[in-house]
Parts: sequence; structure tokens; C-alpha cells
Amino acid sequence: MKTKLLTLAAGLMTATALATVPAKADVKIGLIGGVSGPIAAMAPAMIDAAQLAVQQVNEQGGIGDGEKLVGVVGDSACNPQGGTDAATKAVNIEGVAGIVGPHCSGAVLAAAGSVTIPAGVTLVTPSGTSPEITNLEDNDSVFRTVPSDDYQGRALARTLKDMGYGKVAVAYLNNDYGTGLANAFKTEYVDALGGEITQFAAHEEGKASYRSNLAELAKGGADTLVIFDYGDGTGLTILRQALENGFFEKFVGGDGMKSDAVINELGAENLANFVSSSPVGEKSDSLDIFNEAFKGVGGDPDAIFANTSYDAAFLLALALEKTGGRKEGVGAALREVSNGEGEAIRPGEWQKAKELIAAGTAIDYKGAAGDHNFDAKGDVPGTFALFEVGADGFEVVSEMN
Amino acid sequence: MDLFELLNFYVIPGIVLGSIYALGAVGITLIFAILRYAHLAHGDLATLGAFIALAVVTTLGVSPLAALPVAIIATAAVAVGIDKVFYDHLRERPKIVTVMASLGIALMIRAVVQVVWGVDTETYSRGIVRPENYFGLRIRDREIYTVIAMLALVGVLHVFLTQSKWGKAMRAMSDNPNLALLSGIDNRKVIVLTWVIAGGLCAASGFFLGLNTELKSMMGWHMLLPMFAAAILGGVGRVEGAVLGGLIVGIAEELSVLVIPSEYKAAMAFAILLFMLLVRPTGLLKGKVL
Repeated sequence: MKTKLLTLAAGLMTATALATVPAKADVKIGLIGGVSGPIAAMAPAMIDAAQLAVQQVNEQGGIGDGEKLVGVVGDSACNPQGGTDAATKAVNIEGVAGIVGPHCSGAVLAAAGSVTIPAGVTLVTPSGTSPEITNLEDNDSVFRTVPSDDYQGRALARTLKDMGYGKVAVAYLNNDYGTGLANAFKTEYVDALGGEITQFAAHEEGKASYRSNLAELAKGGADTLVIFDYGDGTGLTILRQALENGFFEKFVGGDGMKSDAVINELGAENLANFVSSSPVGEKSDSLDIFNEAFKGVGGDPDAIFANTSYDAAFLLALALEKTGGRKEGVGAALREVSNGEGEAIRPGEWQKAKELIAAGTAIDYKGAAGDHNFDAKGDVPGTFALFEVGADGFEVVSEMN
Repeated sequence: MDLFELLNFYVIPGIVLGSIYALGAVGITLIFAILRYAHLAHGDLATLGAFIALAVVTTLGVSPLAALPVAIIATAAVAVGIDKVFYDHLRERPKIVTVMASLGIALMIRAVVQVVWGVDTETYSRGIVRPENYFGLRIRDREIYTVIAMLALVGVLHVFLTQSKWGKAMRAMSDNPNLALLSGIDNRKVIVLTWVIAGGLCAASGFFLGLNTELKSMMGWHMLLPMFAAAILGGVGRVEGAVLGGLIVGIAEELSVLVIPSEYKAAMAFAILLFMLLVRPTGLLKGKVL
């Protein structure tokens, strides 16, 4: 009896499994981000921006013969284990054809190294900025729409020097993001510009007190503390304890510190001497189009990495249109749709792009955050700006170059 | 470096941190001694306590300290509930099963916190508080509250364990559960009592961590290793040992920055734990060896 029931159950399951495979399969892409963890305040806008691209694709004809593009959200928790888990789930269970994300450098390196490169799935990160990502042996399957921290660290060093900052101390989070950015900054500030870094120290995440670290950093007489960390995580704790105890007069952060959590928790009135750098979209028609569209769905276009996230998702969709929704050849297709040659496609112009691809015409995506003409390593150049805290949140102080 | 710098930036933060560890370590040491397993959900239970206090602060608008008793009672109730629903069924199985179950509970509690309160960093009160100057010592009010509350809670617990009938019953069960049962001690009531105490202290520990820094859903998990190190350093089953252990681990972590690179600060608790287990597994105050 039991075996009969089991057979019946197995038969039913096979039948339903067959029945649920539709004639037109949806094309799934993974949207993997640091939903929890130290960039939790940044992640929602980034995911929303990527979902906007997915929505536009579906409204304007979908992929191929009207197949729906589906964004499957996963949480990388901004760490290597979380990134690997989320990517494994996306690749093995959801069967995604490509991935936008993960958001944090450590998660990108781990997910790419252990999951997506072996599986041949292409990954486009909108915010994984570590210089290490450049050197991955990735068979042309790891791309990013955000410039490497090698550029950001150097640009920040030049800007600080120009603004007359003198001796600085550097505190960086001991992970792929913090280390990469800090080393790029150090190389330019000390070796190229002759500036002085009095203390250069890494710290571990998640401790309750960093006052002893700060006391060590303050030795050497620097009046400026440069923090390469996340503003929802340890960076906030360090900044708070530095302000409360009167260590340092001026504070500088990288893109990770440009988080609303810093303003919400510490108060804008206490952050008069705090500036942070971040990649910004070059002023362009594409950026205006994206900003309007993102406002239209209730998003904040100034949110950090919103435009790079949108571009990553839209580029991936264009590449999938070329490959017919299959994961094979997505890397090569990404280069074809954004190599500076062909008919210009701006954010939201999915229908036009689809028709041109069908006609075999070359297209060139001009993204909200930049043109995204990938170099041999899958990297893009970028522009940065320095932000200060004003009455309405972060405001641009100056362009950085 | 002068003496005041050493005290202000290394020793005082170490004592405050140590007090927070101590509150958690007392619960761990009691569970270790009476129920005989390592409770890995302790850190996340502390997170829950901290967030319950946040809920009270935001909904009623009271000061954080007024929210502490509510958080202690609520978390104690949750701890007893978790024991009834999950651990109770595993009582007769090998202890390692319960240890693994507690890891699962830790993930469940964290998920609940993330679903209810979100994943953003929160604080009890916005802005920053600069320390007061007491004859050159720079101390914040909340740091004084933390240390006093720790001493008061542990003091009351100590009196309870040594003087009251139920306290003696708990110690008897810690020494020998079968003999305690034969002498007419109701083991089930002792277990409930243990969870009430452990859960309440856990909430206090999480609350003071949140008061001194920020509230994050991972805050308790990151405290777990130092708390275990403190419990084992002091001697398993010894409440005063857990306090001593907590303070030593806290101060050692802060002072470690003077001699080793700061990225290895987090490894300090681990080094202490390993050293004690190798050299003196009974802990400083002759606790149990499990």
C-alpha cells in the first residue's frame, strides 16, 4: 500500500513538474545585495533601481518573444559567506541567467570565485569597488558598472591635498573593500603627493568599543581621520566615539560612509567637519532620464549606487536579449551592447533596443552612471564628487579628479 | 602616554565593555553549570532584549533606563518560552543536540529581530553625548549606569543564590542533578528559574551594549565569543568568576591595541579562551570542567 501511495505521489509530482514548465520560460536574474548587515540602509534604493530596469523591460516587450524578466532578490549580508550562499541559491535553485550584485567587494570576490565563475554565470556588480575584483581570473564573466577604488582612493587623496588637508590618520575596515581603498589612498597620498599619514591601521568589525583604536590613531598628531568603512556598521561606531571623545577635528570617509544612517544617528549638527567621497554619474541626458524615471516610482535618484544598479540591470537585460535569455555568451554580449559603437540607447529605451537587436544593428548603451565601455578586465572609468552634510542630507562640495 | 590617557581611552572603555560581557557571561555560566550545555543563542537573545527596550522607548517615549525592566521581563519570558518549546524536548538526548539546536534558535531570533525592527542601525537617542570630566577622568553618565547596574544585578543574584531556598536548589542541581532530585528538588522549576535569570541578564547585557553604541541585528552575535571566554575564564558555574572574567576580557581587548595591530583585537577573546582551556580548564575561581 505504502509503495503504491509513494508511486502515486511520485507520478503526480512528475506530472506537475512537467506541467509547470511553460512554453515561454521566464528569464530570471539574481539581484543580490547587502539587504542586512553594514550597508543595510543603502541596499533598498539599489535593489529598487535594478527592479525599475526589470519593470521597464517587461512593460516594453520583455526578453525575446515577450518572456518576462524576473528579478530574484537575495541577501548577501555584505560578507563573503552571505555572498556565496545567496549566489549558490540564485544559480542552483533559481537558475538565474545572470546576476546583478553582490553589493560588497568581499561578497563579490567570494561569490565569483566559488559560485558564478565555475557555473559560467555572468555577474555585474553595481558597487563592488575593490581593486582585487579587477584581477579575478573570470573568463570574462565578472563586470562592474562602478569604478574601481583604485581610482576613488587616488582621487580622494588628490582632492584632500588640494583642499589643504595636512597630516591624516587612516582607519580602515579589515576586509576587501576597506583594505583596497585604503591602500590606493595611501599610495597616492604618500608616494605621489608627499603627504603624511601618521597612523594607518585596520580594525575588525562589530566590536563595542574603538576608543583604544582611536587613541592609537591619534598618536602622531594628525587632525584628520580618514575612515574607510561602512556608515551603517563599524564606521558609525568609530565616528561616534571619535566625536564624543574629541579625537580629531576633521573626518573624511569613502563611499561606504556616505550613508544616511550617519546623519540619522549622529545628527547633522555634529557633522560639520565630515566629508565623504562617492562615485557620481557624469551629468548627461541619460542621468536625467534615469532620475525622472526613478522619481516616478518613488525612488531617490541621489541615493548612492542607485544609477549604477540600474545600469547593471539594464545592461544585463540587453545582453540577455542578445543571447536569447541563455547564460552562455552573456559576457561577450555585454561588451557588444556597450562598446561605444552603434546606435545610442538611453535608460528606459528598451523597445528601441529590442528592435535594433532584432534587426541586427549594433547598439551602444549610454548609462545613467556613465557610458560603461568596459575595459579588458570588465572595469569602467568613473567620476567622483566630495560630499558634505548640509541641511537636507549630503550635498556636493566639489568634483574630484 | 600619561596615566590619564591610559585610564580614559583604554581602561575605562575596557571596564564598561567588560561589564557588558559580564552580564552575558553570568547567564552563560549558569546555563553551563545547571543545564550542562553551551547556549549559542545567548548573543542573539541579548539583541532581542535590546530591541524590545527600543520598542518601549519609541512607543512610550520613556527614557531608555525606564525601558530596561520591561526588556528584562519580556526577554526572560521569551527565554522560558524557547526552553519549553524547543530545548525541553531535547533534554534526554545528547547535549550536543541541544547545542546545535541553540545555534538554530540564534538564527531564528535574529531573523525575527530583522523582520520586526528592520536591518538598519538604530540608537536609543539621536546625537552624541560628550563625557563629563571627573578630576581628569572622562566618563559618560551611561557608562556609570552600565557598571552600577551590572554590580547591582549580579549582587542581587549572588544573594539570591547563597541565601534563598530556590537559590540553594539551583546550586544543588548544578552540583548533582540526580541527588538534587532525590532530595525533593523540582528540577523543572529550577530550569525555569535558570532561564528567567539568564534571559533577564541577557536583556540587560544587550541593552547596555545598545546604550553605549548602536543597535544592530548582529550586535549580540559578535559578543558571543567574548562572553564565552569570560565565563570559562572565571570558572564555569561561578557567578563572581563570570564578572571577573568579563572585566578581564573587556580590559584585555582594549589594552591589546597597545601591543598588537588593531585588526587582531577581536582575536584577543579567542586567545584568552584557548589559553585558559589549555592551562587551567577550571578557570580562575575553580569552576566545573565539562
